[in-house]
Amino acid sequence: MSLQDLIVLTPILNLGIFCLVTMLAIAFRRNHARIAAFAFVACLLTLATLPWVASATPRAVTALLIVDRYALLYMGIVLCTTMMVIGLSYHYLHIQFRERDGIEEYYLLLLLATFGGLVLTVSVHFVSFFLGLELLGLSLCSLIGYVRTRRHPMEAAVKYLLLSISASAILLFGMALLYFESGSMTFRGVGMVVKQVQAVPGLWLGGVVLVFIGIALKLGLAPFHMWIPDVYQGAPAPITAYIATVSKGALVALLLRFVTDIGALELPSLVHLFSLLAVVSMVVGNVLALFQQNVKRLLAYSSIAHLGYLLVALLAGGPTAAEAVTFYVIVYCAMTLGSFGVVTAYSREAGDAEQFEDYRGLFWTRPWLAAMLALSLLSLAGIPVTAGFIGKFYAIAAGVDAGLWWLVLALIGNSVVSLYYYLRLVVTLFGDKPASATTPQGLAIESPQTSGWMAICSLGLVASIILIIGIYPEPLMELIRTSVSNLLMVAQQKP
Amino acid sequence: METLFYIAAAVTLLATLRVITHVHAVHALLYLVVALIALSLIFYLLGAEFAAALEIIIYGGAIMVLFIFVVMLLGPLAVEQERTWLTPGAWVGPSILALVLLGEVGYLIVAGDLPAISIQEPRQKAVSIALFGPYIIGVELASMLLLPGLIGAYHLGRRLSSEAR
Repeated sequence: MSLQDLIVLTPILNLGIFCLVTMLAIAFRRNHARIAAFAFVACLLTLATLPWVASATPRAVTALLIVDRYALLYMGIVLCTTMMVIGLSYHYLHIQFRERDGIEEYYLLLLLATFGGLVLTVSVHFVSFFLGLELLGLSLCSLIGYVRTRRHPMEAAVKYLLLSISASAILLFGMALLYFESGSMTFRGVGMVVKQVQAVPGLWLGGVVLVFIGIALKLGLAPFHMWIPDVYQGAPAPITAYIATVSKGALVALLLRFVTDIGALELPSLVHLFSLLAVVSMVVGNVLALFQQNVKRLLAYSSIAHLGYLLVALLAGGPTAAEAVTFYVIVYCAMTLGSFGVVTAYSREAGDAEQFEDYRGLFWTRPWLAAMLALSLLSLAGIPVTAGFIGKFYAIAAGVDAGLWWLVLALIGNSVVSLYYYLRLVVTLFGDKPASATTPQGLAIESPQTSGWMAICSLGLVASIILIIGIYPEPLMELIRTSVSNLLMVAQQKP
Repeated sequence: METLFYIAAAVTLLATLRVITHVHAVHALLYLVVALIALSLIFYLLGAEFAAALEIIIYGGAIMVLFIFVVMLLGPLAVEQERTWLTPGAWVGPSILALVLLGEVGYLIVAGDLPAISIQEPRQKAVSIALFGPYIIGVELASMLLLPGLIGAYHLGRRLSSEAR
């Protein structure tokens, strides 16, 4: 551990220190606004260290971590998303916890989860991979069950805990097999075995498949997606946004690095397996979303489909694939934050606004909120002028480049199907407003008229990101290109 | 030596099976302890004495402490509960399995020969040097991992003022 190592690790160290300071600050004096601001500043300061660190990269810190521009870019995504989630959470928690009792730990857990996410982006070793994943998963588990006064969050938390445990068990078993076969726990070392021998050892292949199943369970790819709708529905809306964006984005960063480092895409059997996962995810996600009457579940199924699209981009291999995946992650984070952000902003004390009926005629009462949701949904559907279109276009271009015709066709077909349910929700927004007296439970009457300025600011920012990327994506593409070339360059170097 | 391994493996499997199938948590716990001890014997037979010792200390020890906690937390009812839990039906099974393991250990002592199958095993010193050398970041991360566990348990476990009854 030299000084240079510490300098390169600054973002992670900074956030780690802030976690501890936040804990002490909570112990010293509980104050919702102050702790929320504190958490926000922690992310902002960590974000500010990234450009400073960039000049010293790439650099491997012990065998466990490597800090390169690619990792820094994903750190930026993770931190920005966390700040948005903090902005969305403030008013939401204010409504949920009338008693002002035990709100503050929420921000601490959020910071810890983000810390785990940062570790995932720089991991090149099974130990740091697993510890980062557990940090993220364990914090999320408490966050999902955070609103204890309601029943659904608790149920969702238990489900997530069970999923998390089984995913970890499968992952560890896969890692053990890989270690057995290669005698190394670094991704590069694991990959070396296959490059040296002619026939790929069966146990090695089994280990890789098990590790992938573990990751797929966490990402919610199709045959392993059972938990996604329930957890998305049960978790508090801002946390749902967090699971959908930060936890998946960080894991995709790791998946891309893992796949590149072990050279998984050079093995036809693994490529077939991934293709299958991608197609099944797209089909299952979109078909099940068609008949949803619950907005949160609809978005959950749509997220399964979107990860399928992302996998298509990943399968293309080479620099285009890495660029397309990274671009898609950024776009996907923005649109998911936008849609779940509106759900958060429109939620009441009694529960989140999740039924289609809650949103009927939203445009006539809260036009900006409705416009925001419509924009996010159109972006998710991939309508031109939004970021979603460019993201999907990039993914398709990468697929065509690599000659993955079937996958590209499946992607396009599924996008067409998905239009139906996104537009159905958009149409609902502009529908006739039901007479207040006739609504069940009188929801329209107690619908909130304000959402807090922080949530509005976050939503406005997300909306402008979606539009700017949709209209003028070149600067972002350039940034991604320089960062990702770094990943591939490092991957090609021999240790 | 191989026979000993197979016996220990059979004990592990049987005990683990009973952990899963048992309906009573405390009885399942007894089997779990036996399974962990059998596992540590397997480690020993493979020549990994250090891992065997850790298995006993951390798993066997920690599980036993949890077990005692369950009994303790029941408060005044504990004695009554203990009587109903520790019926012969509950402890006979684990005891037989444990006796089998004891027999194996006895045989190992009497026979006096160390396990023939020996894998190069990092001893305590090597483990410590690795932990606080190349893997120092792993140790630090593990220490951070305790924090969300602690905070989460604290938040989910305590009584909110709104639900004070």
